[in-house]
Amino acid sequence: MLRQVITCHWTARRIHRYLDADPAAPLTPSEISRLEEHVATCERCSEVLRQHRLLSRALAGWSGHHVVDRASTDRLRSVLDDLVEGRLP
Amino acid sequence: MSDATTSPDAERRRAFGEVIEPEIEVMLRVARSITGSAADAEDLVQESLIRAFRALDRFDGRHPRAWLLTILRNTHLNMQRRRRPIAIDDAELARAARPAFGSAGVPSAEDSFVTDELGAALQVAVDSLDPRFRSALILVDVHDLSYTDAAALLGIPPGTVMSRLSRARQKVRVALGPTFATSEREL
Repeated sequence: MLRQVITCHWTARRIHRYLDADPAAPLTPSEISRLEEHVATCERCSEVLRQHRLLSRALAGWSGHHVVDRASTDRLRSVLDDLVEGRLP
Repeated sequence: MSDATTSPDAERRRAFGEVIEPEIEVMLRVARSITGSAADAEDLVQESLIRAFRALDRFDGRHPRAWLLTILRNTHLNMQRRRRPIAIDDAELARAARPAFGSAGVPSAEDSFVTDELGAALQVAVDSLDPRFRSALILVDVHDLSYTDAAALLGIPPGTVMSRLSRARQKVRVALGPTFATSEREL
């Protein structure tokens, strides 16, 4: 039981790094295995992981509001071209 | 007279263009959140591109997005100082972001839940966050920046981004507890 609690705590401290897989803070393969094995058998941690995944999807969906205007992108590409070609002072 | 198309300087300029061009959309999205206005975002990115080009000699070629976002942040701070006496901080970055749902196509059942059921509660939960936590959440989870890129934009270490992000997500998840329809105890 104590071992289970300790592993839950250990998992909770790594769950964001596991989900993000960010190059700045990668988990080791053994950490990933340990976390996945624990989540597979722990209902509580499995539920936390599910909720974080759902939250991540919901937040990613927000970016649709700020769709970049293509004309704006094109104008800035033109500015970049002018810089590269030496057409701007 | 040197040939402009093959000189080292021309090569450097071309390399600059190739590295920077794919980052323009990300810069515009982030600038839109920072400024709260599409027109101001374009002005900010344009000024940042010019500054980046002038600073090309100081760029080591690594982490171009983080380099550009640092320039974007500093450019924005300078532009704000010119417009008003109080410098902007990352609290305003978060406050300026007012995301909304609206993905194209036919949503799946889970997508419908995310947008219809979770949307309003999520907005409340995110709005209630401390601005420092909220800005980390928006940059990484909404704008999909890496820890390093968000750190560059906010002017803080990546480790601080991680800790703020973790606390932000945890607070939002707990706030959404009833919406998630779970009776599980929090870790």
